[in-house]
Amino acid sequence: MDFGLTKQQEMLRNVVREFAEAELAPHAADLDERGEFPLAQARRTAELGLVGIVTSPEYGGSGMGHLARMIAIEEVSRVYPPLGFFLQVAPMGLYILETAGTEDQKKKYLPALCRAEKFIATAVTEPTGGSDPTAMQSTARAEGDGWVLNGRKVFITIGEVADLVVVVARTDDKFNAFLVEKGTPGFEAPRREKHAGLRSIPVSELAFTECRVPKENLVGQEGRGLAVALAAIAAVGRTGVAGVALGVAQGSYEAALKFARERKLYGKPIADLQAIQFMLVDMNVGIEAARLLAYKAAWLLDQGKSPREAGADIARAKLYTVYLANDVAAKAVEVLGACGTTPEYHVIRRLRDGLELLAAAGTQQIMKVIIGGSIVR
Amino acid sequence: MEIVVCVRRVRDGAEPGRSAIGPLERHALEEALRLKERFGGRVTALTMGSPPAGRALEEALAAGADRAVFLCDARFAGADTLATARTLYYGIRRLGPCDLVLCGNESATGATGQVGPQLAEFLGVPCVTHVRRLEAPAPDRLLAERALEHGHMKVEVRLPALVAVVKGINTPRLPTVWGIMAAAEKGITVWNAEDLGLDPHLVGLEGSPTRLVRERKTEFARRKEIFSGPPEEAVKKAVARLKELGVL
Repeated sequence: MDFGLTKQQEMLRNVVREFAEAELAPHAADLDERGEFPLAQARRTAELGLVGIVTSPEYGGSGMGHLARMIAIEEVSRVYPPLGFFLQVAPMGLYILETAGTEDQKKKYLPALCRAEKFIATAVTEPTGGSDPTAMQSTARAEGDGWVLNGRKVFITIGEVADLVVVVARTDDKFNAFLVEKGTPGFEAPRREKHAGLRSIPVSELAFTECRVPKENLVGQEGRGLAVALAAIAAVGRTGVAGVALGVAQGSYEAALKFARERKLYGKPIADLQAIQFMLVDMNVGIEAARLLAYKAAWLLDQGKSPREAGADIARAKLYTVYLANDVAAKAVEVLGACGTTPEYHVIRRLRDGLELLAAAGTQQIMKVIIGGSIVR
Repeated sequence: MEIVVCVRRVRDGAEPGRSAIGPLERHALEEALRLKERFGGRVTALTMGSPPAGRALEEALAAGADRAVFLCDARFAGADTLATARTLYYGIRRLGPCDLVLCGNESATGATGQVGPQLAEFLGVPCVTHVRRLEAPAPDRLLAERALEHGHMKVEVRLPALVAVVKGINTPRLPTVWGIMAAAEKGITVWNAEDLGLDPHLVGLEGSPTRLVRERKTEFARRKEIFSGPPEEAVKKAVARLKELGVL
């Protein structure tokens, strides 16, 4: 058994940490405050090869793999979780195109998506709820040489800035996925949702009204649309969320540790008090355990396991890292005392971001359903 | 343009987020990569050291160097600036003709600033140090701006030459994922004293005329005195004290 990272993965961690410290840390609080999509920073991650990190070089990606991606997301999120969340969400569409798209679709879209010249969103969830996607009401009907979409999607991350959306809709009792380009008549993003955390990543409602797309915009085989999207949500979405959660936890822990070493009480740093130390220990051990779970899930995908085969491991990783991130961020707020909820110390920002991860890429309860199924089956 | 960049490993490069390459050497590497992008050619990263120093070369390859040469031999250990410069010279000689050698003006540790000039002397090429700006009006000529204590000096130099750079000359690029992946394919060439045809008596501690006798940490502690009381009185006391000390 080898717990070591490869030299390339080690170097990647160094590079992304340096990028995050130099280019994200000075702006993180301001970007969060303004709540604008961090376009320049998203493009920088693409320049570094992080957007297409699981996409093959043939289509403009860098092809380093799922574990490398998780490390990169963790390092970005350690400093600025919203950008990590962008790296969680954008590659879902890339993964769908690469695994299910036609050769023409891959050549047409993937290189520009890897360069972040264009952004892609994935739209499955509807007002009927995300946990049971088969209840969706959006429809797609074949008409002439194309398809006509009608319906509404909610909580679509980067929906507002996306140039391209993978939309899953119902055709009778089957589900199909389609590529819809921004500007297509009948497609609009009418409303941006307000969220407590990850404030600079827009989450939007998308509406489709007699929205006509050509037949070559069908993604994957007819009737496989939902399966294709769910595979991407598992392989890319949930592992990405686990990466963001690790970063939130690590960043919060480091902030708490730094504060505990500097803040003096009874003539010595509060880090010397067992009451504080024990909290730091819980954070430290939890992060170590969460990291092992998360890295294992990503590693399984790198070993060629399908999202279905690695499904329970991915669910365990998402479930545990997200609870842990929220726990560590809340403890960090506590360690900082009255400073904990002030913006200057950046822990309350992380706690808000951590809360957004609970429902991202499947709720914690859905993770338990997946794990439960794998145990009793 | 055939360019050799001397890179040096920083000791705490193992820490995440810290580059394995010394800060000034990163600027030298960046300058080399920019010249190559403009004029074509090849960038070779060169270092001398013990096995962990190879990390600096891996990083140089990931940032875009075309090849890397590692002068690694237990007998090179303990080298002073002269033995280091000599060893690097033999490495460059073995590499073949080169147009430009770039290095950091001084290391982040010893900071003697001697290796560059000594290496230029061995190579028999002009040496321009303290370079904060470098222009290449033609592939065989460089215009360098040297940072001086009070101002700067502009120097034109014909190639081949050695240029030692200072902080601020550029912003070093970060390796990309593509670069990191490509670095693994490029590989590192390792040469020992025999490979270089170097007399082992002329390298390492044995080949070093300088002896490090003692290292001492110097503390620059300021003396502090506080004069209390009403401002007028306190100022009078302070002025009197400064006169007493001969400052005023």
